[in-house]
Amino acid sequence: MAAPDKRGSPVHVLESMGRGAFRFVDAFGFGAHLFFESLYWLIRGRRMGQRVRAEPVFAQMMVIGVNAIPIVSMLSVAIGITLSMQGIDSLEQFGAQHQVMFMVALSVTREFGPLITGILVAGRSGSALAARISTMVISQEIDALKVMGVNPVRYIVAPSLLGMMIVLPSLTLWSIGISLIGSALYVAPQVGTTVSALFTEVNASIGTDDLAHGLTKSLIFAVLITIVSVVDGISVEGGAEGVGRVTTSAVVHGITAIVLTDMIFVFATTT
Amino acid sequence: MTEAQTPQPVIEVNNLVTHYGDRQILKDVSLTIQQGEIMVIMGGSGSGKSTLLRHLMALENATSGSIKLLGHELSELSQMDLYTLCRKIGVSFQSGALFSSMTVGENIILPLREHTNLDRTTMNIMARLKLEVVDLAGFENLMPSELSGGMVKRAALARAIIMDPALLFCDEPSAGLDPVVSSALDELILRLRSAMRMTIVVVTHELDSAFKIADRITVLDGGEILTIGTVDEVRNSSNERIQNLLNRRFEAEEVDPDEYLARLMGQT
Repeated sequence: MAAPDKRGSPVHVLESMGRGAFRFVDAFGFGAHLFFESLYWLIRGRRMGQRVRAEPVFAQMMVIGVNAIPIVSMLSVAIGITLSMQGIDSLEQFGAQHQVMFMVALSVTREFGPLITGILVAGRSGSALAARISTMVISQEIDALKVMGVNPVRYIVAPSLLGMMIVLPSLTLWSIGISLIGSALYVAPQVGTTVSALFTEVNASIGTDDLAHGLTKSLIFAVLITIVSVVDGISVEGGAEGVGRVTTSAVVHGITAIVLTDMIFVFATTT
Repeated sequence: MTEAQTPQPVIEVNNLVTHYGDRQILKDVSLTIQQGEIMVIMGGSGSGKSTLLRHLMALENATSGSIKLLGHELSELSQMDLYTLCRKIGVSFQSGALFSSMTVGENIILPLREHTNLDRTTMNIMARLKLEVVDLAGFENLMPSELSGGMVKRAALARAIIMDPALLFCDEPSAGLDPVVSSALDELILRLRSAMRMTIVVVTHELDSAFKIADRITVLDGGEILTIGTVDEVRNSSNERIQNLLNRRFEAEEVDPDEYLARLMGQT
């Protein structure tokens, strides 16, 4: 006799939640293992005869960083100008529109720069990494590495992680700079001052702790994007359809991880 | 026979049992493969031959039993020792498993780049040498996507032998190839054994290919070994399951129409 359909019942909902929680803990543990194993190979690989090569690290930096400069720049200018327009409109009510650059600089440095760059890189490079790894799993390239005596974490994950950890903070710094330039170019004629005067104001109001706050977050985002993409990529099942599925989930999981971590980081550092 | 003349076992599998979930895949498999031998592991789909090969390549963990490769007990090796052992092993995967982002030449020299300090020129010379061995001279600058199925398998063989391994595993070398290309690959495997004196384990379901290259054949069915013997011993076996396999016959199943209909409707 066919089993009764339990879908929608409270037991089924609880079962699904339990399975989901188990999968999350499993993926989290695997991700932590990948992160520490990558660090291990980066630090001790040369001594163990399994060094992480500079060539794939530079290749990753090129793909993640240099090729992303145009789109990061365009978005950063747009964010800077948008924040300025909103800021002037809001601050005018209190006659404080001259303070808009201070507000924009603080928002961009601590929040928007790292967040927007992280989301952009998760969508652009995280998905590419997940697609690459899942394709390698399906075509037995990962197995081929293992039987060649090459550790796949050392060969694939460690260079991607290092490349991402160098490039994402650099891109974030670039994004902050471009946003501020865009903002200053818009604000200067609006409030009747010069761009250089606005930057003097920014210099005086933004401290190294604000910059450190933003860059530390981008470093954490770099780790999250890489590890989430690798965990999703390795979990591929099926053929081309499976690759599409893990690529999409890598973007969704990556962005979710970034936004939630951002909230926790801000909570931990401001309260 | 003196001890020096006795062939040394390169692979010793003892009472290997493995499960995927609740399903038992390999049931108490034991076999020994001698140095310089070509052992063909044969069986139908789902017989467990690819699973056995993955265990021999240390890609899976067994439920119980042991595998000794080139004198090393696999379960006792550390990860680093396993990587060192892997340098003495070459593998040609069913799909070729060439790295799609690299040229054929870069694929072939990858093990050399990772495990030796040879300069680029020497590595390129070695890659060209191996490509000549597999009749692919001049193809080193092409991408894997530009090769035919047979060429991909030969390029994979060239990568598998670049470190001059003592042991070579070939997973379905002639699957999906036309008879002419398939026969050429069989000749290549025989040539490799005589030229490089390596022990070769081939997993295949192609009977012609198996009979052509094998010194001995292991016949697997339903996860258990039916027989291990020479080509003639397997051909002349009186075991009905082996004869069914060789003659591509399938055991007739009595079907109860009511039970069959109930099964289709998901009521059993």
